[in-house]
Amino acid sequence: MTTDAQLLAAAQTDAHAFREIYDRYAEAIHRFHLSRTRVLDAALDLTAETFAQAWLSRARFKDVADGSAAPWLFAIARHVLVASVRQQRLEQSARERLGILTAVDRRETAAEPSELWLEGLDEAFAGLSPEVRETIRLRVVDDLSFDDVADLMGTSPGAARVRVHRGLAALRNRLLQTKEATR
Amino acid sequence: MTDLLPELSRLGDTIERAAAAQVAGRSRARRHTPRKLLLAVAVALVAIPGLAYAASTLISNDEVAAGLPAGTKMLQGTEPRCTVVRQGVEYHCVLSRLPADPEVADLKGTVEPTVDATKHVNGGCRSLTSDGRVWQCYIGQAAVAEKIIGPDFLGEYSPTPGVG
Repeated sequence: MTTDAQLLAAAQTDAHAFREIYDRYAEAIHRFHLSRTRVLDAALDLTAETFAQAWLSRARFKDVADGSAAPWLFAIARHVLVASVRQQRLEQSARERLGILTAVDRRETAAEPSELWLEGLDEAFAGLSPEVRETIRLRVVDDLSFDDVADLMGTSPGAARVRVHRGLAALRNRLLQTKEATR
Repeated sequence: MTDLLPELSRLGDTIERAAAAQVAGRSRARRHTPRKLLLAVAVALVAIPGLAYAASTLISNDEVAAGLPAGTKMLQGTEPRCTVVRQGVEYHCVLSRLPADPEVADLKGTVEPTVDATKHVNGGCRSLTSDGRVWQCYIGQAAVAEKIIGPDFLGEYSPTPGVG
């Protein structure tokens, strides 16, 4: 099976490859937004924004999870959700740039973002050990090489790689468990 | 093919169409690069092997600063000021004004291309801060090595500041 990373590489010039990524994750991302907003249309808008941002930033995807795009997509989904609550309106900048803001054939979403949408959002991340959290932060957020991460964490590059991989896998499981629990 | 909810399936169609249109638009823009210009550049590069390097080493702080808003719409009106870190390779840039309409809420780690006065991609920058005020910029192949831009994108004709 083609990995997400391979599809995203092909998606640089192939919209159909990106569609395959969408088909793999649309439901999971929609469930994530629905579990937060509990409003169907708002969840659909946020899903659209998540994938529009993913499309626009696909060149920046870095494979840090053995070919899976799940951590990257959920990070974008989380960002879209947080941005919506901060702005007090649903984030829509990527949809505007892609010209699909009014292209989705349905009524406009009336939902107002609420702080409640963010409740418990970071619990999954907080549930990881401090070492794993810091390793993931250095690698994924600060974009450091595994060599640099290893230097800062006082470990070997191989161990840093394993720590990031296991941490992201644990995070993914925790997020999935949260979603299942809120269904 | 998975069985998506009808709304999600329709949304997927919409996104795919918009994405395909964007890819097609970019391909058209590439074809519009004047052949004469490409030929002249190719001849110059063959005739003067050091040209590319020499051109990059001669770039001024102001030219790097001008390349940021020229490459990215979000950075227009931000009046960057750049200082040299490694002449012709790496620059440290600080915006006088924050981006008025940032494309993402947290800009830290965001990468954007820079465009020279001839409207060609000549490098790229990475935001060091969440508010997008401080950027580290790299010229030419250094931007490729930093994985800010792809090798195919360097030297591309870019007549208008990009988004996304």
